[in-house]
Amino acid sequence: MLITDNGSADNSYKSDNDGSGNYIDDANAPVHLPIDKDYAQFGLSFEEYKKINDILKKEPDDFEMGIFSAMWSEHCSYKSTKIHLKNLPSKGEAVLIGPGENAGVIEFDGVNVLVFKMESHNHPSFIEPFEGAATGVGGIMRDIFTMGARPIANLNSLRFGNFNHPRTPYYLSEVVKGIGFYGNCMGVPTVGGEVVFDSCYDNNILVNAFTMGIAKKDAIFLSSACEEGNLVVYVGSATGMDGINGATMASGEFDSSKANKRSTVQVGDPFTEKLLLEACLEAMDKKLIVSIQDMGAAGLTSSSFEMSENSGKGMILNMDKIPLRAANMTPLDIMLSESQERMLIACKKEKYDELEGIFKKWDLNCVIIGEVTKEKTIQFIYKSKPYHTLPVESVVNGPSYDRPSAVPLYIKDVKQFLPDEYRMPKNFNSVAERIISHPNIASKHFIYRQYDYQIGTNTLACPGSSCAVLRYKEFNAPTEPANSVNPADLNSGIILNSNCNSKYCYLNPYKGAMLAVIECARNISACGGTPVAITDCLNFASPEDPEIMWQFKEAIKGITDAALKFNTPAVSGNVSLYNETAGAGKIYPTPVIAMVGYINDAGKAVNSTYKDEGDNVYLLGRLSGNLGGSLFMELVHNDFMQEPLSIDIDYELKLQNCLRGLIEGKLLKSAADISEGGLFTAVAEQAILSDKNLGVIAEVHKDGLRNDMLLFSEFEQAFVISANPSNEHKIYEFVKNAGIEIEKIGTVVKDIIKFNNIIELKSGKIKERYYNAVEKLFDK
Amino acid sequence: MSIRLNLTENKKINAGITVFPGSNCDMDVYYALKNVFNLNVSFLWHKDEFHNFKNYDFIVIPGGFSYGDYLRAGALAARSRVMKSIKEYADGGGIVLGICNGFQILLESGLLKGAMLTNKSLKFECRDVYIKNISGNNFNKNNNGSNNNGNNNKSDSNNSNGNNNRSGNNNSSENPFTCLIEKDAVLKLPIAHHDGNYFAENNELEDLLSSGHVAFQYCNEDGVVADDSNPNGSLKNIGGLFGENFNVMGLMPHPERASEKILGSDDGAKIFNSIIYYIKNK
Repeated sequence: MLITDNGSADNSYKSDNDGSGNYIDDANAPVHLPIDKDYAQFGLSFEEYKKINDILKKEPDDFEMGIFSAMWSEHCSYKSTKIHLKNLPSKGEAVLIGPGENAGVIEFDGVNVLVFKMESHNHPSFIEPFEGAATGVGGIMRDIFTMGARPIANLNSLRFGNFNHPRTPYYLSEVVKGIGFYGNCMGVPTVGGEVVFDSCYDNNILVNAFTMGIAKKDAIFLSSACEEGNLVVYVGSATGMDGINGATMASGEFDSSKANKRSTVQVGDPFTEKLLLEACLEAMDKKLIVSIQDMGAAGLTSSSFEMSENSGKGMILNMDKIPLRAANMTPLDIMLSESQERMLIACKKEKYDELEGIFKKWDLNCVIIGEVTKEKTIQFIYKSKPYHTLPVESVVNGPSYDRPSAVPLYIKDVKQFLPDEYRMPKNFNSVAERIISHPNIASKHFIYRQYDYQIGTNTLACPGSSCAVLRYKEFNAPTEPANSVNPADLNSGIILNSNCNSKYCYLNPYKGAMLAVIECARNISACGGTPVAITDCLNFASPEDPEIMWQFKEAIKGITDAALKFNTPAVSGNVSLYNETAGAGKIYPTPVIAMVGYINDAGKAVNSTYKDEGDNVYLLGRLSGNLGGSLFMELVHNDFMQEPLSIDIDYELKLQNCLRGLIEGKLLKSAADISEGGLFTAVAEQAILSDKNLGVIAEVHKDGLRNDMLLFSEFEQAFVISANPSNEHKIYEFVKNAGIEIEKIGTVVKDIIKFNNIIELKSGKIKERYYNAVEKLFDK
Repeated sequence: MSIRLNLTENKKINAGITVFPGSNCDMDVYYALKNVFNLNVSFLWHKDEFHNFKNYDFIVIPGGFSYGDYLRAGALAARSRVMKSIKEYADGGGIVLGICNGFQILLESGLLKGAMLTNKSLKFECRDVYIKNISGNNFNKNNNGSNNNGNNNKSDSNNSNGNNNRSGNNNSSENPFTCLIEKDAVLKLPIAHHDGNYFAENNELEDLLSSGHVAFQYCNEDGVVADDSNPNGSLKNIGGLFGENFNVMGLMPHPERASEKILGSDDGAKIFNSIIYYIKNK
């Protein structure tokens, strides 16, 4: 199996080179092998192999095959998806740099910009969950500080198999440990994310990591700025045999008996990366770097070829100069190694001494390994002699396919939800308890307490909230703090969250992907923020299956339509394909969206917990009662194959604007959207999350909607908000003017959660179940 | 904020913050001391010894993963050049606060007694906890109480630049770290560590307790010190510890993360304000 890092490679859109991803057979290719070259072992099709022959005007040797196969792999070339990805909206007022660099960049306050991206590290994490997750986090952080931004927040979006699957506790604990190990040591807070358990991930867990950094607008560093005559400088850890491309490992040139025993999963060292971060930022601050790219997927190969291509230049690379930590490495080993914590820098000759001084200060390698050339080739030198010369453009610009797609067979089994086909449950209390203690709803504090979420002293809303809210504080602020003013009052804030309900995406990838974007926006609006931009991590099964390709194309359309409406361009992203295991099923399409929003005054942000006894609880918006695809249907009727309801996106925009206005006007104490677990969960969870043992008594009735439909339907365009009763008049007036429905549905009380006289639970007891559910996994 | 001192005067106070490779709370401490308390703050690089002790009114060893926590948390940092100087500084009476990894470094360097084991849960633990000030009667009470605006704090600043006269402290009542904090007061502060499970030999532990060298114990919101309020398994719920002469303190929770209301608690400011007050008045 082929394991690579998620860093580097193609520009902003990358896949994590999952497993069999490279082994694409061309159905039309003749069955015989040409001469003695086993192109399939390099993960290339016959057509691709022929094309390489044409480019080189000769038969490629193993070195050339290795380089081409890495750069033309799915993860570096995006060959199956790039024609679709270009349809995603990536432009907008806030966008400074969209897809095409290491990460996307958006405007923040005129002086500072935010740099962010999400990436997958799925297959490595399935094979070695601790190291896989750790290096996934390390890789995405490098992508951010490569651009000159100091990482200030991490999110992660995790998918594990069924909660009761025997391997789930192992994966969960190791992945969480790995994420904490890397992020905590780096000093970057892990401020939020999501964790979902579902059988479709039993044999393919997903680990998607997001990092956001902050930089000065006039000090962004790119991979595309190399100038002729610049020195090519290698900094960071030495190169070892870890993470070397599995395809080339199997080729004849290596001592395969040895190589096969070596781990193909990289080993991360967050301590070295912390030094690399500080050294790089210091060198950038002193303007010693012209261009820079991290060595992630396909290591030195992708960084050198892509920097050259992006800059319209070439390089001389002296293989004899590369710092090595293993003996007898071949040039191809060196080029394909994915050892972590390394960067490639282009620097002006006269600045080199100063650059070296900084890296030496941080006890890191800093070595000149070549020079930027006008000729658009990479000229390799090995044992002091010319070794190979390869054309930059043809190596970087790999093939692109418009793969066939077809509506999946299962889609015909997705029915409209018809209430008459399902009987109401008799015991609503027990359903309510099962939903609140379902691992996908219950508290994840067992997980996020293993992450340092407060470092940086910016975290205002921590994990467990629907969104992370960060303040922005100017370092070394020149003004003296005033005695009377809390400096935080002046702080603008950043709101982050990630989302994807893959069950909806399975039932209808267009609507499901659209809902992922909308759900992110809802969470941001429920804090009082305005959505600004997104990044995506598109996790799918094999693109060679036309049904999967259909899911992919539909999901892209869904993201596009929602992102256009919300004016949240996709500024960066990642694709992870081949998330399937032979004979053990495919994952549901899982296009994870992470959204960034702003709030002018972070002090005004609200969260989703009731604050005081006697406050009123309102339903803002309208109810459909459509139970299709809901957790309720899955739990109670063991049947969720119903069509997700269409979202009225214009109403949604109006609704969210209205909510934001209420928060801006300081009229609300809390707000939560209705999503998984339905209205009941939105009402009850705000009591459970409160720290005063509060409860709620709520009553909702609507003609034609049964209690189960009212309480547990998930396709609702509505929020549950709480407020001081004295604000009622102002709230009603504001909401009426916005053209939105509002209804008082309850009151915040002590100790008890009551709903429509059919649910009555003790807050304390249900709280315990909510907080202990995930930890219970480890009691077995 | 009731205990914020006169900020303009604070500018005269010089604080040093150590930076080891892997320190990662250095900037947070810097921000708090400079932007919240208006002190004059500078960094001390791990590779450098320093001898200009008078230039530092107090030194903070911040949290992080110094030298990657390789070998043992704090073990390598304790043998760095800067720590050689800090030991001399502390021996001369200089005020040193070690937070989290800084606490571990102080233990490893012998400035504090005992050791840190891996948390009882064997996991990294990040959350808000409560700690109780069990150090002796405070300095504040002998000084006319009120300290809202700093007007009564001007009296004695002769010693604010010197450390040499302070080595004589032998009880906790005049320690720099809790002098503005009522005995038995409960503070809400965040923890974030993997190895915060305090350990000392039985007799040593008894000595530390009886001689007033335990500064803070983990407790619940109401100040009850019990097993279920102990986040890491520390013996006697110890979360903060004084050095022999009460001029050194190790603290596992992070006061710099709780020095502004917007962060959910400003109880950490009570510790920094104590230090500032002590320096101004001692």
